[in-house]
Amino acid sequence: MTTGDPLALWRSNPFFVLEVATDATPTDVERAGQRLLALLTVGSANVQTYPTPLGPATRDAEQIRQALAALRDPEQRVLHELWASVIPAGGQASANGNAGPWEEAERALGWSALWAR
Amino acid sequence: MTTRPLYVGIDLGTTNSTVAVFDAEEITLIRNSLGSVLTPSVVRIDARGNVTVGARARRFLDTDPTNTRSEFKRLMGTTHQLEFPASGTVRRPEELSAEVLKSLRQDVADQLGVAPQRAVVSVPALFELHQTAAASNAAMRAGFERVELIQEPVASAIAAGWTQGGSNGPWLVYDLGGGTFDVSLLETREGLLRVVGHDGDNFLGGRDFDRALMDLAIARLAADGVVIDRANPQHARALRQLRLAAEEAKIELTRAGEAPIFIAGLDVDGQVVDVDLVVTRPDYEAAVGPLIDRSLAICTRLLAANGLGDGALERVVLVGGPTVTPLLRERVRAVLGADFGEGLDPMTLVAQGAALFAGTVALDGRPAAKAPPSTGPKVWLQFPAMTSDLTPFVVGKLLEQANTIKQIKISRSDGEWQSEPTPCEADGTFAVMVRLLARQNTSFAVQGLDGNGQAVTLQPANFSIAHGITLGDPPLSRSIGVALADNRVQVYFNRGSPLPIRRTFVLHTVETVHPGTEGHVLKVPIVQGEFAWAHLCRLVGTLEIPSTELSAPLPVGSEVELMLELDRGGQLRAQARIADLDRIFDQVALLMTPQVSLEALADALNKLRTRAADLSRAAFLDRSGKTAARLSAAVPRLDEAEQNIRAAHGGDLDAGEQARRMLSDFDALLAEIEAEQAWPELGRKIEESFAMAVSWVAGHGNDAERSTLNETYQACKRAFVARDADEVERQRAVIERLGVAAYFRHPGAWEWEFERCAARVGESTDVRRASELAAKGREAVRQRDRETIERIVRELWSLAPVDHDEQKLGHGSGLRKR
Repeated sequence: MTTGDPLALWRSNPFFVLEVATDATPTDVERAGQRLLALLTVGSANVQTYPTPLGPATRDAEQIRQALAALRDPEQRVLHELWASVIPAGGQASANGNAGPWEEAERALGWSALWAR
Repeated sequence: MTTRPLYVGIDLGTTNSTVAVFDAEEITLIRNSLGSVLTPSVVRIDARGNVTVGARARRFLDTDPTNTRSEFKRLMGTTHQLEFPASGTVRRPEELSAEVLKSLRQDVADQLGVAPQRAVVSVPALFELHQTAAASNAAMRAGFERVELIQEPVASAIAAGWTQGGSNGPWLVYDLGGGTFDVSLLETREGLLRVVGHDGDNFLGGRDFDRALMDLAIARLAADGVVIDRANPQHARALRQLRLAAEEAKIELTRAGEAPIFIAGLDVDGQVVDVDLVVTRPDYEAAVGPLIDRSLAICTRLLAANGLGDGALERVVLVGGPTVTPLLRERVRAVLGADFGEGLDPMTLVAQGAALFAGTVALDGRPAAKAPPSTGPKVWLQFPAMTSDLTPFVVGKLLEQANTIKQIKISRSDGEWQSEPTPCEADGTFAVMVRLLARQNTSFAVQGLDGNGQAVTLQPANFSIAHGITLGDPPLSRSIGVALADNRVQVYFNRGSPLPIRRTFVLHTVETVHPGTEGHVLKVPIVQGEFAWAHLCRLVGTLEIPSTELSAPLPVGSEVELMLELDRGGQLRAQARIADLDRIFDQVALLMTPQVSLEALADALNKLRTRAADLSRAAFLDRSGKTAARLSAAVPRLDEAEQNIRAAHGGDLDAGEQARRMLSDFDALLAEIEAEQAWPELGRKIEESFAMAVSWVAGHGNDAERSTLNETYQACKRAFVARDADEVERQRAVIERLGVAAYFRHPGAWEWEFERCAARVGESTDVRRASELAAKGREAVRQRDRETIERIVRELWSLAPVDHDEQKLGHGSGLRKR
């Protein structure tokens, strides 16, 4: 929480990487991952980037496998669902690390209170 | 058979090996020439150099033991050389495993008429890198041109999932083989099989059950005045006979209430005795009970690590011969509180799963067919060979002569389904969702459509997908990293990371390597383990950059871009790129566990005993009951290691290897306890770091840094209270970084740092260069040229001396982080 770029974590949220909704079933998630991995293997230019609330980001096969692994784990998935769903409605978050959804997400997770202790 | 895929799976076991094939619909167990699906992992080489494998070789274990070898799997990846005196040859364990694999490959050829070229071979989940590399080499030696490895519990889980289908929730594979114990926690959801985690003991297996029974017999014989000493090489033959008899009795005791151990004419020091003992099941259960408890403690540790309590398991799948022991089944059921998966053969489940896995990764064992004559544009297809998804995607790319194809259409061979025409992207790629037939291997035809909607035949024109299970990426069982010259570890992959995985870090050399200097090598030691200190982790390989291969000097402080990559089976590839020299090195050497002399082991044992006694005393004085209890629970392992060293003196190589592992584990345990006892010292270090940081951040930091420092200090204190050493160190490093950043904002900081470095020029790794820099630095100080001072200080840092004691502990690493 005190180091690193929190927005980097945001950009690599598995739901964004795999381009699936937060209520996607495990089968939907696997199917999306399988499709993206296959398209990357054959060199499709269309899947090398993905949209995020902070603008487009690039992805590779390893990121896709990591995202699949994260969403297969129920505990990790809940956390990522939360992060993916606290984006302010109706607009993109700022690319400035001090603004945007970070504090909102922190509060949603109850961490701000923890730090204040 | 040859018209269908041939997916081959091999369980290379410590005691027995098995091969199964899967044709995308059914699994077949392959029988050997004696009609059995189990081939003993035994190899004999006679005086004429003829090699015999399996049951025929096993018959000679008693009468010609020096030329007949078994249980070599546990020695794979070590430098042991096994002698066959009759033929005057020596073989390494992996060469003997290759003979077993060759024999199994021949069995497939005899039964199916095709010698497979590709196969999946199972390895224990806790095999270390050098052991998996040895297994892979063995398969290549056996004539396979490509091999994939799979962790045994994953293979068992696939087979159990395939056979039993449907169930959702967490389950456990309890795999007690001949020589190793693996336990895996798995989860099935909507046909997706995921390995949640695993644990185990590389030196616990059926063989230890035999030993326990043998020790019982030895004790009974001693009471009758017949003394058999495991440490006496003269008694090796008697011990072998006793063990074979014990093994037979063990099997009988799984069904009967008592079993005889009978050996006619056992020769002990020239005294010939007829051994005639009766072992009752309660006797046997008392002997093996502690081994079963040891395995169950590992299971509960795994469940606890994953937050699962009593009654959380859906079922338990038992794998391996020893799991037929009634007491074992009773205790497993009582402790884990779940039903067993029924109708699963514990002896062949691993091979069946390996064959199914070959199907999921499309590793067809049939020799590659000749390419059909060119009949149309080529298409590159990507699809899962097996999946739990009834509507997966088929992805492709049109290759040469394909610019006339505008759309793709896929049809199922039963004529009941076909896709809508799907447009191709500008780069020729496409993705079509297809519909599979449940629990079958479904064939499809793929066609291109030109601008007029006319069908164009593509090549390949057909493909098939089996509906079954989807396998999640298996997790890494132990963290892997690179040892650094300061004895720390640069972690590359954390335990639990999904495989395959690849990562690159930039590190720096700690000394200059001059080209052509014979014997001078820059070492990059690769270690496996969960400790922050390299010497506590196991060295599993070394990437070497020999000076003889350099064309120009590699100066101290040079950047080395080091990449490590692990495949799904745990096979490692490493690559070091030195940008300054434009060279790449990728030869990982010494992926072997060096043989340690028994004297060195005995010496290490004595030192560990002394250390453990000192720690127990300190724990007693500190009234730390928890530490004292941990130590007293662990000390019996030292007694066990001592017994193993004695057995190794009697010629039991495996026992020596087991002792080495036990001592290494014990060393790590003591290091952990020592770190805990030094806990108050860590508290003092936190306060020192914070005091230093506060003084600089207060004067030269900004508001954000002051606030971050406060947060980090609170987090560090919380981690200290929670006794989370890793987190404490991580937060302390942040505190120090904040302090250092503020310090270097002071106008005089770079000058002070220069004076500090200049005073130690004589200790630098390149004194000449450091002296030159010091002279230039003094001039820059005179001229108040802060930019030059900073540059010189940074270069002097890269020449900072290496603590050779720490470097030695760090497996001689030639790298550090800047």
